[in-house]
Amino acid sequence: MDLHSYPQGEHGRFEQILNQFLLKSLHIILDSRVPANRPSSRNGEVKKSDKWFNLALGDRPAAMDSLSFWNRSLMEPMIIDIILVQESPNYSPDHVSSSSEMYTETVVERWTVQYEYQRAMAPQTGDASYKKTYKKSIILLRSVYSMLRLLPAYKAFRKLQSLNRNCDFDINYKVCSFSSPFSRTEEESMKKYSFIPVDAQQGRLSVSVIYRKDLSDFNLDSFVSCPPEIIIDYVGSPLTEPMREFPSTSSEKGARATSFPIRGKQSTPSSPFQRRHSWTSGLHRDLSSLPNKPFSGSPPLNRSPYEYSTSPTDVYIHKSQNQRSPSNHRTTFDDLLSPPFSPSPSPSPPTYISGGIPGRLRSETAPMSIPHPMMGRSPRYLSPNLSDPSRHSLPPLSPRNLKFDPSSHESPSGIRLMRKSDSLRSGDLSSGSINSSQKVSRDAKEDSGRFSSLLSSSSSPRVGFSRSSSRLSFQEDFGDLDFSCPFIVDDVDPPDNQSSQNLDGRNSSEVSSQASSTTKKSQDAAVGELVHMLKTAPPLRQDSIYNTSQSSKIDFDGEVGTVSDFFKPRKTSDALEELKVYKEMKDLLLSRSVSHVAGKE
Amino acid sequence: MNSEVCQLKELEVEHFEIREVLRCILHTILFHRALGLVRPKDVDLELFEITYVQCGDVELDRKIDDKIDQFIDRVEKHPNKKNQICLSFYEVKNKQATWFTNKVERLYWEQWYINLNVAQHPKGHFGKSHHSKVVVDRGDTAADERSARRAALEASLRDVLFQIIRFVNEKKDHVPPIPNLEGVSFPYEITISRFRIWDGHVQEDAPNRASNDAQLTSKALKLPRSFSSSFVMRSIICVNC
Repeated sequence: MDLHSYPQGEHGRFEQILNQFLLKSLHIILDSRVPANRPSSRNGEVKKSDKWFNLALGDRPAAMDSLSFWNRSLMEPMIIDIILVQESPNYSPDHVSSSSEMYTETVVERWTVQYEYQRAMAPQTGDASYKKTYKKSIILLRSVYSMLRLLPAYKAFRKLQSLNRNCDFDINYKVCSFSSPFSRTEEESMKKYSFIPVDAQQGRLSVSVIYRKDLSDFNLDSFVSCPPEIIIDYVGSPLTEPMREFPSTSSEKGARATSFPIRGKQSTPSSPFQRRHSWTSGLHRDLSSLPNKPFSGSPPLNRSPYEYSTSPTDVYIHKSQNQRSPSNHRTTFDDLLSPPFSPSPSPSPPTYISGGIPGRLRSETAPMSIPHPMMGRSPRYLSPNLSDPSRHSLPPLSPRNLKFDPSSHESPSGIRLMRKSDSLRSGDLSSGSINSSQKVSRDAKEDSGRFSSLLSSSSSPRVGFSRSSSRLSFQEDFGDLDFSCPFIVDDVDPPDNQSSQNLDGRNSSEVSSQASSTTKKSQDAAVGELVHMLKTAPPLRQDSIYNTSQSSKIDFDGEVGTVSDFFKPRKTSDALEELKVYKEMKDLLLSRSVSHVAGKE
Repeated sequence: MNSEVCQLKELEVEHFEIREVLRCILHTILFHRALGLVRPKDVDLELFEITYVQCGDVELDRKIDDKIDQFIDRVEKHPNKKNQICLSFYEVKNKQATWFTNKVERLYWEQWYINLNVAQHPKGHFGKSHHSKVVVDRGDTAADERSARRAALEASLRDVLFQIIRFVNEKKDHVPPIPNLEGVSFPYEITISRFRIWDGHVQEDAPNRASNDAQLTSKALKLPRSFSSSFVMRSIICVNC
């Protein structure tokens, strides 16, 4: 910024500072309260526009792009309301008439940034005046930035961000020049903090916030900070990949509904949420609520399924789609409302759709008993996923959260799924391009096919266990795994799809080579990798032979499984013997994990 | 210009909490005083539900960590209950190098005193492995006490952060002009003292200024003449004995 001053240009300089101050403060506030799925472009050159006030924040949120500042008077205050949106408790599915009935919106924070013109003040002249103002406003913005992280609403923001908006609440914002005053009851629950104003040319720059002291009333699924504990029975989440794929297809095919626990009035599309939550259950709560984990602790729920979820959730999607659509912002700044109030669907990132289904998602949902048909479907998917965990200390619980950010905010909602599935196919999670959709439809068929086959097959868990046991024999350091988890399912090849089996055969070899090449930095990631490997088909063949020698009941031909293999009738005694074997394995694993944990400490 | 002093609220910490607490406080102060271009970085504390902001300066991180290591060593060696860390910001006034001395004078324009009350029972090992202490006991009264104490510490730490924010907002006039640099723009010094400086009065024999070591060290640095036009960031490690 050129600070060379000319007396006549000083006012112009000051106006520039004031304008940028307003923009910067809005940027800071929105960045800290409204999750945005954009890549954090922290590396590289800082844009010139970002250097204002010596605070490089990265790209402006998409929401700001549509806010028009041109017709805004600098003298008007800028009032930013941070609104917590929750589903109304008295909502019933019958009344879908107006959105206001469905959601309860509460202003949890109201930021007021303004230039208070004080005519009485003698106009400050000289070079130093706006320089001082600038210096002091730098400090002021730093303290605003820090304060945003100390206020109660920050926890809600972090939760929302970490769960990719798959919560029972959402955060909206509203920027305008006026605001309706709070009711008395509201005022009582709110507290005000005013930053010390910065003297400016003929007035002062002031920032203040009125915030809700306590957000516990909203039951935001308490953002509990669990102290880091070693989770003995932690299971890596290679399952998330298949999990993600599975729902994405069935929403179109309608095949997903059958095996998911569906909560009450919720439609199918929302069930994967439950599924994901229920899968991790306690694990999810621990991990997702760890505040120091920037990524989501829950399995990366595929955002895409919700893009085209239909029927009851349509309204929610409509709302949430509008939430971040830059193009829907009205141009008049004075009465600018955040997207939920603006009409029409938008091509905005569909990730926000999940925000449109508040109240449907609880982390404690029905116990899941869902196999993971995606498990062995495409080992190729696993490899890119495997590379992700190295970025985190946990196995691929949500490696895609960060990865998907670049892509998510670019693509139109309608084709998000296809792009995502496709990126999975190509093993490139960060790719934002949309490849052929034929693959997607093929995936869909496979997924639904496998899913149904798994439901009817009684042999799948068996295979999973046997595989894992053999794997454990030479990967002893992954002692934390507990393979008695009921949801660990083998990657049963689709019984009705020869081509996919061939694909699996190819993929598995790829995976095995890729898996070996992706050296895990952390043990947890290695655990995830292990589980991945266990799920891939080709290793199954060897394991199946091993398993045969163990139990002598599983009749694998050493080929890629066909339908008949898995549907072969078995006697009860066979099953009992297998059960014994698995119990032994489980004990062995547990003892190993205990000793391993003890060793670590 | 006048010098401002801020005495932060005293905190009762256990050994394994020292690092996190000190990091949080020091980084917060420096974030508000590093008025050069920064890329703020949010850091979540592991032990508490608090997020603070770092400047994103690797060098600064390293220096702070070194200093905290020193402090922890010191606390181990001298298990006094109360300890104090002083973070000072100064301006270097260029002095004409005379024929007998190259003295460079420091003008301290701000000093922050971080007061820690370390629990008397040091653990066997802490620091790096402090996280193992975090595991919550199961249904002990000791565990209840600990969680109550931790909750109190979290509230106090939050108060300290609010205190920092309030102070940096209230006192802005004494901040010198910002040199055109990235990151931490003002030279600073972190000193560790066993003695308490409280309300401007020394409780024990603690100097209310840079230690002799610090002054000697600054002399030894022999800063270049053109220093006045560009501040160089330095951190001098001093331990008062």
